[in-house]
Amino acid sequence: MQREFPRHLNSLAGLYEFTEEIMKAHDLPDGIRFPVHLATEELFVNMVHYNPTVTTDIEVGIDVAEQVTVSLVDNGGVEFDVTAKREVDVDSPLEERKPGGLGLHLIQNLVDSLEYQYQDGRGEVIFTKKSGNKDV
Amino acid sequence: MFEIEYGDGGAVMCRGRLDAAQCEKAEAFMGELEGENTLDFTDLEYISSAGLGILLKTQKRLAGSSAGLKIINVNNHIYDVFRYSGFHAIFDIEAKE
Repeated sequence: MQREFPRHLNSLAGLYEFTEEIMKAHDLPDGIRFPVHLATEELFVNMVHYNPTVTTDIEVGIDVAEQVTVSLVDNGGVEFDVTAKREVDVDSPLEERKPGGLGLHLIQNLVDSLEYQYQDGRGEVIFTKKSGNKDV
Repeated sequence: MFEIEYGDGGAVMCRGRLDAAQCEKAEAFMGELEGENTLDFTDLEYISSAGLGILLKTQKRLAGSSAGLKIINVNNHIYDVFRYSGFHAIFDIEAKE
């Protein structure tokens, strides 16, 4: 199932409803749906924030089988490899902590696979999360 | 949908989903907090990194006056997010029973 969403944070409610409806139809538990929603939002928001002048919609696809596979396609955006390891400070005391950078850190910890491709202005991110459901 | 308001017992009740689109509402409320405060997450289903940023910003501001946030009734999914983010070391957090 695939749908296009306007490149704006106001799309997040519709994006949640789209993916939630499909995962609920497959009886996926909260423990799967939560990280899928979180990774999808973080990736979508990255595409919005890093491409403020781009007006194309963002294509989001989701497929549920033995794993949940989510893809996000960004046409016209800059290259941004979400699989690259970045230094994120999660151990420092409060006074040294700085907001930012946690989104990709969380994705990389919560999903089972994460891939990124970029060619001719087209960026595509695909991540998977094991569904635990052998019957779908 | 995200709602934030004071509860009858004085705690700050957070409800719904705190995603990046709801941060303006959360930040406007938390920016007014002073002293020690308890955030009750009983009915908070979801939080993303944008919401974590607001919690961190608020905690840092309050720490300047030797105060801070206590977060209670955190569901296990949000608790995992806190753990991966190292928030368990800089916030007083109680999981939902």
